[in-house]
Amino acid sequence: MEVTAGTFVALLPELVAFVFSIIVLMVGVFSPRTSGLTTGLAAFGSLATFAAAVLLLAARFEGSFFGGGYVVDDFALYFKLIIALSAFFAILGAARWSEQTGDAPEYLSLILSVALGSMLLVSMRDLFGVFVAIELATIPSYALVAFDRRRRESPEGGMKYLLTGMIASSVLLYGIVLVYGVSGSADLAQVALAFTGQLSPVALLGLVLLVSGFAFKVSAAPFHFWTPDAYQGAPTSAAAFLSVAPKAASFAILLRILLEGMPGAVETWTAVMAILAIVTMFVGNLLALRQRNVRRMLGYSSIAHSGYILVAFAALRGAGAETAVQAVLIYSAAYAVMNLGAFLVLDLVGEESKSFNGLFGTSPGIALCMTIFMAALVGIPPFSGFFGKAWVIAAGAQSGSIIAIVAVAALVINSVLSVPYYFGIIRNMFFEEATTGDIEPKGMGAAKFSVYALAVVTTLFALFVGPLAALAGASGLL
Amino acid sequence: MITTITVFFPLVGVLIMLLLGNADGRTVRNTALGVAAVPLLFVLYIYFVHGSNLDAPLLTQSFDWISSLGIGYRVGLDGLGFGMFFLTALLTLIAVVAAWDVQENLRQYFAILFVAELGMLGVFAAQDLILFYVFFEITLVPMYLLVGVWGDENRRRAATRFFIYTFFGSTVMVAGFLAFGILSGPNFSIEALQGGGELSRAAQIAIAAPILFGLLVKVPAVPLHSWLLDVYVSSPTSTNVVLSGILPKLGTYGLIKIAVPLLPAGVEPFLPLMAILGVVNIIYGAFVAFMQPDLKALVAYSSIGTLGFILLGIASGNTLGINGAVMQQVTHGLYSALLFILVGIIASRTGTRRIAELGGLAARMPWVGGLLALGALAAMGLPGLAVFVSEFMSIMGGYTTFPVQGVLAALGIVLGAVYILFMLQRTIFGPPNPATPVVAGDAGPTEMAAVVPLALLLVVLGIFPSLLINVQQPAVRLVAAAIGGS
Repeated sequence: MEVTAGTFVALLPELVAFVFSIIVLMVGVFSPRTSGLTTGLAAFGSLATFAAAVLLLAARFEGSFFGGGYVVDDFALYFKLIIALSAFFAILGAARWSEQTGDAPEYLSLILSVALGSMLLVSMRDLFGVFVAIELATIPSYALVAFDRRRRESPEGGMKYLLTGMIASSVLLYGIVLVYGVSGSADLAQVALAFTGQLSPVALLGLVLLVSGFAFKVSAAPFHFWTPDAYQGAPTSAAAFLSVAPKAASFAILLRILLEGMPGAVETWTAVMAILAIVTMFVGNLLALRQRNVRRMLGYSSIAHSGYILVAFAALRGAGAETAVQAVLIYSAAYAVMNLGAFLVLDLVGEESKSFNGLFGTSPGIALCMTIFMAALVGIPPFSGFFGKAWVIAAGAQSGSIIAIVAVAALVINSVLSVPYYFGIIRNMFFEEATTGDIEPKGMGAAKFSVYALAVVTTLFALFVGPLAALAGASGLL
Repeated sequence: MITTITVFFPLVGVLIMLLLGNADGRTVRNTALGVAAVPLLFVLYIYFVHGSNLDAPLLTQSFDWISSLGIGYRVGLDGLGFGMFFLTALLTLIAVVAAWDVQENLRQYFAILFVAELGMLGVFAAQDLILFYVFFEITLVPMYLLVGVWGDENRRRAATRFFIYTFFGSTVMVAGFLAFGILSGPNFSIEALQGGGELSRAAQIAIAAPILFGLLVKVPAVPLHSWLLDVYVSSPTSTNVVLSGILPKLGTYGLIKIAVPLLPAGVEPFLPLMAILGVVNIIYGAFVAFMQPDLKALVAYSSIGTLGFILLGIASGNTLGINGAVMQQVTHGLYSALLFILVGIIASRTGTRRIAELGGLAARMPWVGGLLALGALAAMGLPGLAVFVSEFMSIMGGYTTFPVQGVLAALGIVLGAVYILFMLQRTIFGPPNPATPVVAGDAGPTEMAAVVPLALLLVVLGIFPSLLINVQQPAVRLVAAAIGGS
């Protein structure tokens, strides 16, 4: 294993994120806490990270490093773009909140650390590397959730997240160890040789534990319990970021592990994924219907969306495989913009569904943006979410497997099930009278900018989807 | 190119409405009027310059959008959609004129109306399944908001039900579209998919079922209609114009443009059912309309009834019937918009829509009474008015293929005559009801401007139906040929 200049180029986005997470901490020690300097630095850092990933993509930089354990390809870079951009909007969304507490630098640095871990994760091709990167992304996120010490829910959510997260990590590690035991290697190429034909009980157990570990991370039912509590407790921008970036990274690496490490066992894991997907969609949507707290509702909604993405995993076979990979990529991007937007609106409006009453009258611009995000989450064209769902359905149809088609049917039913709770918000904004003479919080320029920018991207997603699909098609996982 | 500009022009209107800021109501109305007139002028230009050849390259546009899935931005006009394309532009303009009962948030009202117009125009110009669906759904949220924000006290429930039903329908439909396009290539070009591609009969049936279901919810065909009444009755007049004039046609147009020619083998086994649904619509609509105490509800159910003729015409599978169906889409839009506006005017003058409380309107409001009679007689299918021509063609076409259903549909016309004449007798003729005085007199100039064009078109198309039929005939022949009809 040799470390060359190329290795540093390969790690450029991660290095940038790392350097800025340190700089933000250092500067925070010396600069006044209200200057906004650290926020600016962190935002700039996330943009620089994004630029680094774009640079690698534009230069068609590809290769594997550290003895094949770390790989840079279009697929990984695609997800790094999503992660870096999500970090950027989350940091802007955090601006006002961190001004109030005076804890800004640590908070921002933690966001960059989660981004760093997530970006490393999508490049891993070695199961132990996967574990290390996951922990790198998860440990700072425990702190992020528990960060708001003024509210009781925050440490509570953080504690729940920590405990379940630890169990999830152990399960994942146990799965990795079993897979390692069966194949004699943690390298995905070697694992692929062992996972063919009829799986031995140990191999099957390893696969199931591995998938269960990831199911925790992407909050798939029945491993979803931590999600609503963690999102309700976390500061809004942290919840927004955690529901998007680490999740997209987990889906990405799961896709890589399954496709590169276990192509021989495709029959087995598509079936597992289909069941997981169906359960997750129903659990997420049915529980979301009961929520009055919008933040909690969005937590359950994120469970449901994990279910939709998992349907694509169930379609990863036969003629549907390529479309299914594209579906995961496009869905992740589409979900990132609409969900970040929906969360960030909460800081501007409030988190009880009542606080949205009459918003159309008091601040029509924000009401319009929220309408766009809600319609996008339902999957109404031309907004971003529609393309995610369309790709998933297309993949299911192409795969031709019965279980994938059943999962697609469940997706259609669930899309309709989800209408009442998303449109409940629209209803409140447009049809109800404003209950309080709410005055918009001051100093929210950056968060407002994020919301508007995300609304524009969500609306014009149709223009990006062609290039994104081309990029996804070239990702070369198959 | 012209088509694209026409479809997306309403966006300019949205922008202008948002920029108008604190302009007073009069300015807002006049500006909206100007904006809404532009697409209509474009359509008239297309009709008079390119009416004989809608395939002109100037009117079509096509480029790849998502090439890996064979999805393209493909727009163009043909005889099937042109009539509705025209009607959409016309009725949006009239909806702007008729927005007199919208007082609050006028700018937002027009902005949302224009978004809906964009979607509706797009549906009738789309030549790609996914694009069709995208435009189809663009109308959904705006209509939800138009009803939910500006409707009467029952508006929230009505809007929500409308949304959930039609969204469920269209989601099922798009699943069918996706399966269809993916299994045929993937390719979503409507032109390339004519005849069903290489799909087997069984596959076509499996794909046609969800598509038909989704479209029939939108129409709505009778067992799927329960969302309709509330939303029609709760809407403001101006929204009614679009809601009854255009929206059901997204469903029927989808049947004519997509279901029948693209999946002939798959749709064919469902045609008898569709003919029955058409007859059920006609007869059920007439019976329930007869029982309505509320004038607006009566018009709503009469609307369900006349939509049945479209279903029957499509199910016939022959040139005559489909010609009737395509034309009925337009004539239904004209008369139902006319009646809804008149009901709005009557309610504003007398303070009631209850038929029993009205009476003698012809004497007290001669213009309104006269036009109501004209519109109602048109709805009934009186010869000389446009609806007669299209209903007659639908019935004759339907009779050729399904004699029993054809006869029953003709019977439906008689039933229609009963409730229409009964309604006219109780509202505009007879002694004036002293309990409901008419305030503010007959229709004013603005109100006349909204209704007279519709009435004129009903008469003109009744006398010269060829104005429309000549445009649609070539495309209709292709559809009939696809399904093996004559």
